Amino acid sequence: MGDEAMLVVNDVHKSFGHVGALRGVSADIAKGELISFLGPSGCGKTTLMRIICGLTKPDAGEIILEGRVINDVPPDRRGIQMCFQNYALFPHLTVAGNISYGLQVHKWKKDKIKARVEELLHLVQLEGLGDRRIDEISGGQQQRVALARALALAPKVLLLDEPLSNLDANLRVHMRATLREIQRKVNITTIFVTHDQVEAMTISDRLVVMNQGAVEQVGSPVEIYEKPRNEFVAKFIGYVNMLQGVVKDTSDASRSAVIDTELGESEIALGDSRLSRGEKIYVIIRPEAIRLDIRKSTGPMNSFAGSIRSVMYAGSTVKYTVDVGGKDLIVDEYDPTTHGIRRMGERVVAEIPRNVHILRADSRTPVLT
Amino acid sequence: MAQARALSRAAWARENATEFIQTHVVNIAGGVLFLLLAVFLLWPISAVLVKGVYGPEGFTLRFYERFFTAYYYRSFLNTLLLGVLTTSVCITAGFCIAYLTTRGPRFLRSPLKWLTLLPLIAPPYIFALSIIMLFGRRGFITQLLNLDLQIFGFTGVVIAQTMAFLPLAYLIIENMLTSLDSSLEDSAANLGASEGKILRSITLPLLVPGFLKGSLIVYVMAVSEFGNVAILAGRTPFLAPDIYTIVTGIETDFHMAGTLSMFLLLPVAIIFLVQNYFYKDKGYVTISGKPSYAGPRQMGLLILIPMMIVALTEVGLIVLSFAVVAIGGFTRIVGIDNTFTLAYIVDWRANHALVSSLRVSLLAGLFGAALGILIAYVVVRGKFKGRGAVEGLCLAGFAMPGTVLGIGYLLAFNSPPLLLTGTMIILVLNSVFRFAAVGMEAGITKLQQLSIEVEEASRNLGASTPTTFRRVVLPIIFPAAMYGFIYVFMTTMVSLSAVVFLTSPAYPLVAVFIFQWAHSGYIGLASATTVKVIAIVAVCLGIIQVMSRWTGFSITGEIKGRYGG
Ligand SMILES: Nc1ncnc2c1ncn2[C@@H]1O[C@H](COP(=O)(O)OP(=O)(O)OP(=O)(O)O)[C@@H](O)[C@H]1O
Ligand SMILES: [Mg+2]
Repeated sequence: MGDEAMLVVNDVHKSFGHVGALRGVSADIAKGELISFLGPSGCGKTTLMRIICGLTKPDAGEIILEGRVINDVPPDRRGIQMCFQNYALFPHLTVAGNISYGLQVHKWKKDKIKARVEELLHLVQLEGLGDRRIDEISGGQQQRVALARALALAPKVLLLDEPLSNLDANLRVHMRATLREIQRKVNITTIFVTHDQVEAMTISDRLVVMNQGAVEQVGSPVEIYEKPRNEFVAKFIGYVNMLQGVVKDTSDASRSAVIDTELGESEIALGDSRLSRGEKIYVIIRPEAIRLDIRKSTGPMNSFAGSIRSVMYAGSTVKYTVDVGGKDLIVDEYDPTTHGIRRMGERVVAEIPRNVHILRADSRTPVLT
Repeated sequence: MAQARALSRAAWARENATEFIQTHVVNIAGGVLFLLLAVFLLWPISAVLVKGVYGPEGFTLRFYERFFTAYYYRSFLNTLLLGVLTTSVCITAGFCIAYLTTRGPRFLRSPLKWLTLLPLIAPPYIFALSIIMLFGRRGFITQLLNLDLQIFGFTGVVIAQTMAFLPLAYLIIENMLTSLDSSLEDSAANLGASEGKILRSITLPLLVPGFLKGSLIVYVMAVSEFGNVAILAGRTPFLAPDIYTIVTGIETDFHMAGTLSMFLLLPVAIIFLVQNYFYKDKGYVTISGKPSYAGPRQMGLLILIPMMIVALTEVGLIVLSFAVVAIGGFTRIVGIDNTFTLAYIVDWRANHALVSSLRVSLLAGLFGAALGILIAYVVVRGKFKGRGAVEGLCLAGFAMPGTVLGIGYLLAFNSPPLLLTGTMIILVLNSVFRFAAVGMEAGITKLQQLSIEVEEASRNLGASTPTTFRRVVLPIIFPAAMYGFIYVFMTTMVSLSAVVFLTSPAYPLVAVFIFQWAHSGYIGLASATTVKVIAIVAVCLGIIQVMSRWTGFSITGEIKGRYGG
């Protein structure tokens, strides 16, 4: 994916008074892909979307659509449609009135409008609701009306600004799938904005992680999850086990290193990356990669004794907090029904894998493993 | 565990007890308030209307007959036309200026806004004075350009009333425009709509409730606040001055006044009903979610230029009027003897009226705000059936033409047990009940933001009901109370329509004083006194603004936030 970029965001800057909302954001969006912009509240996601669709002027930088700089093209000529965070549905119009608004503005014929509205209602599974008032439908339905309205003019790019953030948890998961399905069906290039990493992971082809008006990392969900580039991304993506450590010894032969971590000494595999002795690093361990055991003694490397401090049962998994010499480790165990659930205070041995992700503590550059 | 449960049960019982007391206190307060509103609004109003159909001989329609055979029906038609014209111009121009001050060029927004609001601190008939001094037979502009104008008559009245009440229309519409979710307009722009199309298909339709509310207020003011009308009407008859003449003239005829009041009230009642019942649930709430920041969209010249013309004309006229009234106050006889004089500004009768007005207005402001907030609390938190009636009655008092309520007080309170005629109390009460709705509406808005859970949480944390009220409710509702105070105070200082029937030599009011002198042609004295009123109101607002550092209530901030009328 991505040889011909549909949309390019090139070094975009924007500030509001003293607030630097965007500080040099760049990204390529390929034709037909669904790319998520992920970042905490206030990091500039909405601002970027408004700039892409032309409602806000950037201070510097370019927006390039199909090879053409469109900075000076007004929002209605760009072929980029935005769905607002609060849907921005017109409260005095019906569902059909909202969906057909753009068509009427573009002076479509009555019968063509009618047919197109039917088609869109069918697409977003709202058949028969065309005559309802906007406040007579549910939140999820409003969301779909907003989507249909944006799709009506068959734009080249669709921008969805936190489309699911006003829905309750169950509906969110359902709507996520619906959205993805519709996006595939229409095959429309889509930018999906969210501050929910799980949502971003599950729905997108690629992710752009943003923080404080800048891009931290771009990559596929797998890349981002397995190889976060820096501490911010790692934390944001949901890593809870980040151990500070110092490189004690490296071995070129076995491509491994011994790290003095907060837990004690651990041996890790190095892969292609280089570490030098004395270097300060972070060791990132996924909760599901840690194994808990009661029988084993603390003998071998990477095994640390501790006790269960809290148990959170979530059906298919149990999340334990294990106290290892004063440091908390979060551990996920699958299929508790089969394995049984551990008790609070139970003594366990936590075994840390050799394959972990390492970040240099002093710089933002990662050490890839 | 058991202990915890026992504890929570005790807490639960306590909560129930407070709940019980609270509900009942609120409900009893509701009953008392309803009674008060009935005595001080319902009764006087009915007294007026009943007079119109009840002569010495019993029920009769002969006053209505006379209405149609004498010239009065012409007064009615003139008044109707005056109201409709004034309202349409005010709403249209108010919208243009509000659009400019919310979406226009940034550097223009503030100056335009404050200049437009300026007339609010002046008596409405300042414009009658300025029109006479500018365009009268010996007016500055008339002489300068050698014109031959006839300002006394319908045109002059409409112009003066429009100038006087445009700020009210502006304030309401501006508030609606500010709270309109700007992402709706952005969305429409994104879908390809031009600015004009967005205006027509999104902005204007969504503002309809605001237009209705503004229309009601402006219409009522235009037909009943008759200072400008009486001064400028010449031979053209209008209802409110007719009523004034009938009641204060040699042959007082309350029956005819009652009949005329009915016709003054009828169109108002129709707008009121349309606004409150047919349009009530059509008020558009924003669906949900975060508000978006409104980046200023560039206004197209095709819309900017006509709106700018409207705004600049209005602002120019306001500034000109204030200037000429200031000059008039220090000129012996404008146009005839243009020499400087201090005689008018030191006039002791005017000062006496001013002091007495200030006293009445401050009292009315205090009690009006308190009553408004109390009603708001009862309406929002009470659980009794007649809540809607309490709110509606209070609003009806606000929508009532002042003329009608003035006569009503005259009729209702001139015999024991409530013999109030000629006292200061009747002046205060009249203003309190006429304008309590402003504090009430503001209070309701604030209280609805404060969910009952917050109060419950406070009580749950162990605070008693009074403590909760003092520590939680009061701080939140305080701005609303201040807002109500300012509105009632300002309006009582300058409003004429009701109190003109209720003042007595012992308690002269400055609004009536100015009106009467201006009516008899003493423009200089009227102007000088107007200048003093403006100065005093401005100083009072200034004091409140300065105090904002301690009270946390800022006029500029509040006007930005919401308009309660
Ligand atoms: N019109 C504006 N005026 C002033 N500041 C603004 C404006 N628009 C955005 N900002 C500021 O710019 C920053 C980025 O805002 P933006 O709305 O783009 O964030 P966001 O990532 O969309 O956040 P959220 O997830 O809460 O929607 C914030 O600090 C915000 O306060
Ligand atoms: Mg946002």
